[in-house]
Amino acid sequence: MNALDVEVRLTRGAFRLEAKFRAPGDGITVLFGPSGSGKSSLLSAIAGLVPCGGYARLGRDLLCDSAVDLDVPPHRRGIGMVFQDARLFPHLTARQNIAYAFQRAPKDRRRDIGEVAQFFDIASLLDRPVGNLSGGEKSRVALARALVGTPDYLLLDEPFAALDGIRRRAFIQVLLDMHRSFGLPMLVVTHSIDDAAALASHLVALQAGRVVVSGAFDEATREPTFTALLDPRDEGTAVSGLLLDSGVEPGHKYLWLRADHVVLAAELPRALSARNILEGEIAVVRTEEGGGRLVELKTAVGPILSRVTQDAVKELGLAEGKRAWALVKAHALQH
Amino acid sequence: MLSAAETQILATSFSVASLALLWSLPLAIACAFLLARRFRGTFLLDGLVHLPVILPPVLTGFLLLLLFGRNGPIGHWLEQVAGIRLVFTRQGAALATAVMIFPILVRASRIAFESMDSRLLEAAAMLRAGPWDRFFSIALPLAGPGILAGAVTAFAAGMGEFGAVITFAANIPGQTQTLPLAIYAVLQQPGGEDEAMRLAAMSFTLAMSGLIGAEVLQHWMRRRLRG
Repeated sequence: MNALDVEVRLTRGAFRLEAKFRAPGDGITVLFGPSGSGKSSLLSAIAGLVPCGGYARLGRDLLCDSAVDLDVPPHRRGIGMVFQDARLFPHLTARQNIAYAFQRAPKDRRRDIGEVAQFFDIASLLDRPVGNLSGGEKSRVALARALVGTPDYLLLDEPFAALDGIRRRAFIQVLLDMHRSFGLPMLVVTHSIDDAAALASHLVALQAGRVVVSGAFDEATREPTFTALLDPRDEGTAVSGLLLDSGVEPGHKYLWLRADHVVLAAELPRALSARNILEGEIAVVRTEEGGGRLVELKTAVGPILSRVTQDAVKELGLAEGKRAWALVKAHALQH
Repeated sequence: MLSAAETQILATSFSVASLALLWSLPLAIACAFLLARRFRGTFLLDGLVHLPVILPPVLTGFLLLLLFGRNGPIGHWLEQVAGIRLVFTRQGAALATAVMIFPILVRASRIAFESMDSRLLEAAAMLRAGPWDRFFSIALPLAGPGILAGAVTAFAAGMGEFGAVITFAANIPGQTQTLPLAIYAVLQQPGGEDEAMRLAAMSFTLAMSGLIGAEVLQHWMRRRLRG
């Protein structure tokens, strides 16, 4: 398994990127951070499109090391990249785009274009010029092209940024299936916590050019430095996708359970429409700046946050050590 | 229709312009690609490329004589080593023409390369395509329409090159006498105006069809590229 070890240092005007992290050789690592935090620059440096100013290592192979003035050109790094805007070659058909990758892949590792096209459900549009494809179709062709290029590590720069709701979810599902079927390690850039939760086994969070948290997704998202990156309305916890009923097929790694979407009850509620009722013990009740209360409940699926009012805390007698029931609508888990 | 002499003049013009284009185009494309990438010293190369536009064509021809003449450093070497003589030959006329149309080719190709989405080259690099590979598989096909249109324009212009050609290659019927040189020659003779008019009309028609051809070709190829 080829893990990715990087320490990138680069300066863009007043912006300074100094990021050191390790992305495991299995699973999907999400590179999370607000816009302007340097995620794309970091990806470009790993890909070799800009100098890395530090070092990058893929497994045992050194990709760049400024200390010994080593900088392997991008086409020899064995790293694939899927860009936000697909970047299909406009003078070629979808099939020719994928064949472009096929012809340049090592002969002993070549993947059958027909099979890959079947996998991404693009077999019927292979002979169309790429200008005629929809946004979703373009991204799937771009994924197929990257996969046929047989990289050792795949970088994805907000590949679903241009897609809306349903197609976005579908694309994430395709990414997960692709990872499961081909075992290709991925580093995915996103600024959406829901997308991150759906994909990530591992998290690297970036703020103003620095890595603030790195680690297993569920643990890393509980770090205060991570919470500080989030919009207060997005604050919540990661819950394994298999343990909650979200109304969609399981497959997403985690679901992001927002504190605003969790209702608390002081006794076991009955005859409710909420699909998920989780019993737990209150670990802590925090007072927030605006006067609201953030209650952390220890449940069988892990800690859960719920945001309630001061009055609710009083009326229900919510306090550390008390039992409480968290109610979650399935639809609150579909973003 | 055309007299034997006129056919010969046309044939000479075509052959000189074709040869000039053949020699000039590859180098012009390479130059344009470098210029479009804006490396250090771009302005120096840019200036050098455009020299034939600024200099009087006679001076360009004279400089060619100095360099490629029988006693010039390159001309002498060519004759000794390869037995090639350029002055006062059709190849010489083509060389002078090649130098004159070079800026047109570079300009058109450069614009074509610059208007290409260079991020596609990055995408190609991420699919294991090296620099040469990327140039031939992505940059060249995408810049193709622009380059081709430039080539057609340059070809039309090449048929009409005068100053540099007559200085370097002289005005030899059947050898170096292209359309404009022939017009010049008949104008030197008393009563040559009628013939000059016929040649001028031919020259004008060719130039116009070159320009229109370039437009049509570019339009058609762009449409095909967009799919």
